[in-house]
Amino acid sequence: MQWLLPRSKRSGEPTPIAIIGCGAAIAGLHSGPLRKLESRGIVRVVALVDRDRSRAAALGRHFRSARSFATPAEAFSATAPALTIVASPPPLHAEHAVAALAAGSHVLCEKPMAIRAADAERMVAAAADAQRLLAIGMTRRMATTLLDARALIAAGALGEGVRFAYRDGAVYDWPVSTSAPFSRATAGGGVLTDLGPHVIDYLSALFGKPSVTAYADDGQGEGVETNCVVELAFPNASGFAQLSWSQPLETGLHIAGTTAELRLHPSRPDALHWRPRGGRWQVRESEATLARDLEPRPERGVPRTYYEAIYYQLVQVLRAVLYGESVPVDGEQGLMAVRAIEECYRKTTPLRLPWLAAAEQKLADERHWERQRWLAA
Amino acid sequence: MAGGVAIVGAGGFVGARLLEMSILAGRSDVVPIVRAYRSVGRSAHLGVPHRIADASRADSLKDALAGCDVVVNLTMGRPGDILPVTRSVHAAAVAVGARTVIHMSSAAVYVRIDRPGLPDDAEPQLDHWMPYARQKGMAENFLRERMRDSRPAIVVLRPSLVWGPGSPWVVGPARELLAGSAYLIGDGAGVCNLIYVDNLVRSVLAVADDPTPASGFFHLRDDENVTWREYYTALAAGLGVDPTTIHPVAQTSYRIGPRDALDTLRSGPAYTWLKERIPRETRTLLKMRLALARRPERETLHARPVVTRAMWDLQSTRYPLPIDAFRAAYGDRNETSFSSGIAASLAWLRFIGVHDPGLLALSA
Repeated sequence: MQWLLPRSKRSGEPTPIAIIGCGAAIAGLHSGPLRKLESRGIVRVVALVDRDRSRAAALGRHFRSARSFATPAEAFSATAPALTIVASPPPLHAEHAVAALAAGSHVLCEKPMAIRAADAERMVAAAADAQRLLAIGMTRRMATTLLDARALIAAGALGEGVRFAYRDGAVYDWPVSTSAPFSRATAGGGVLTDLGPHVIDYLSALFGKPSVTAYADDGQGEGVETNCVVELAFPNASGFAQLSWSQPLETGLHIAGTTAELRLHPSRPDALHWRPRGGRWQVRESEATLARDLEPRPERGVPRTYYEAIYYQLVQVLRAVLYGESVPVDGEQGLMAVRAIEECYRKTTPLRLPWLAAAEQKLADERHWERQRWLAA
Repeated sequence: MAGGVAIVGAGGFVGARLLEMSILAGRSDVVPIVRAYRSVGRSAHLGVPHRIADASRADSLKDALAGCDVVVNLTMGRPGDILPVTRSVHAAAVAVGARTVIHMSSAAVYVRIDRPGLPDDAEPQLDHWMPYARQKGMAENFLRERMRDSRPAIVVLRPSLVWGPGSPWVVGPARELLAGSAYLIGDGAGVCNLIYVDNLVRSVLAVADDPTPASGFFHLRDDENVTWREYYTALAAGLGVDPTTIHPVAQTSYRIGPRDALDTLRSGPAYTWLKERIPRETRTLLKMRLALARRPERETLHARPVVTRAMWDLQSTRYPLPIDAFRAAYGDRNETSFSSGIAASLAWLRFIGVHDPGLLALSA
């Protein structure tokens, strides 16, 4: 896999990185891990791209070697990043990832990979044509408990008839700078587009290829869904995922079979809870570890926070670039989640919110976005 | 738009429900105003445009109030922000010539209701131990002085505990009941003074729709005089929790402990100053370490109750808030009964997964 080696690494220099989109995802989540990687001489951020030059400049205060650009084309003509992190608004992911791949850069694209499956397919094809890596940022894959849960399920430890319930939700608090995420016209969708890729990808990592059996949401008119429930079937498991931007859901994944059940919670990425049916809960500390540097024989560790997960994710992607190891989530896997979400929207029905008065629920049903679209057509 | 009803603080629990009920009742005159785009997320399903304004700056808010005759102040935030925001909301309402300002205060300004027939305009207790209640009282007094002005009319609402789907006064007790850490002070005979969120919203809209409201203070609560025991017992029954697991706590006197000192510290400006300077990563790590202490295997029945000073005061309340004045001025807006509210709250708890009978039910 010699083609994977970036020029800079062969010459012993830190891997040059470009960042497209200098909004909240980068400033709030990636910035710290990237600074840590820079301080260790592993990477160097060379280009910051954002139409809003003030945001690029603000981020540039943390990355002294970085130059600011208004467009990806300017950045790619002036720098030669080995890896480009695409963190622009989701509807632009495909355009920016394809541009980076065409410029010879590997790509780590923030979730959601794309709003439409056709765009995601274009990204996968571009990566194949350019012979470059396309990785999708799914930080939940960095939880080592995922490996433990997968092993337990594969060994049949839960028994037959495996069912799951995955809830993920809280009142929306992401520091967005526009109202674009809250309109179907500009964002494509709401909480399903936002959290769905994580949840569907995670379940796919456990159970295989998903198929959507039913989907309901509360989106009305031009609004986007703030609550949704998707029923999913996998080769050996079935269940539902419930997502919310407005309700404090009991977040976590609960899986049960005929003989045992387990729980995974985001606040414990290094331990899962397991019990035989009717028994007491036990904590299983994870013994799995992940590489934490780019040495051929790396030090290993366990990510315990979201920020650490991003750090480890970057390291895994850089190791894939350097040594040809697997990326945590590749373009094909990302595409699978995008297709499932697209299927959800095709099957959408009004979600029943059981605390509403009957008259309110009736009007909410009448205002449901798909019905409004149908009426408009 | 002329004659609009501005909801300042539409991203909060009450504001979001006010917006939702208005839209689902076919109203098109409601204008949600929030401080930041992130606050739109909670109500994004409605597809209603929000206006962005900083309620602590009258000039910023004035533009957002364009076309509105009624201004409903539902802002939350830190205690120290309550009085300045109240001032600026009033100033902006005056600047746009609003007809009515509806200010959401709280019965918390009294500490507890310890006499019958408490007048609706009783003085707030400005030496209250709780910074939130002190600031609410100061904000009330600022508005009280301006009630003599001919316009806008200022209607200060003093609801008691706002409960219902989405309320911390539902999910908190439910979690405690399920964890076995719920408690009742004395025999649980204290008056709960609840107001169901939909009843509160209907009350707000009744004032908003009055073309000539009189300035004044109004208590708000549900019609039924529910005790804390009755409230907890109703929730427990719906959750399948044995009510005998509710811990009785002797009603002697409250002893201030380290937790209260910590709460006082956390509500002060020094804590806020420090918190804003600790990197988010570090805060996340600290939170994660605290979460380690809350493992499912420790969630056994008969967990130790943690008595808080706020709950002590609330459960020691002996009398219901009088609500005759509001009813005389605006009619009875308490359309949701206690039993209906309990049913809806339990349905909501099931929806959010607090009361999930488990995966066995999923297979049904």
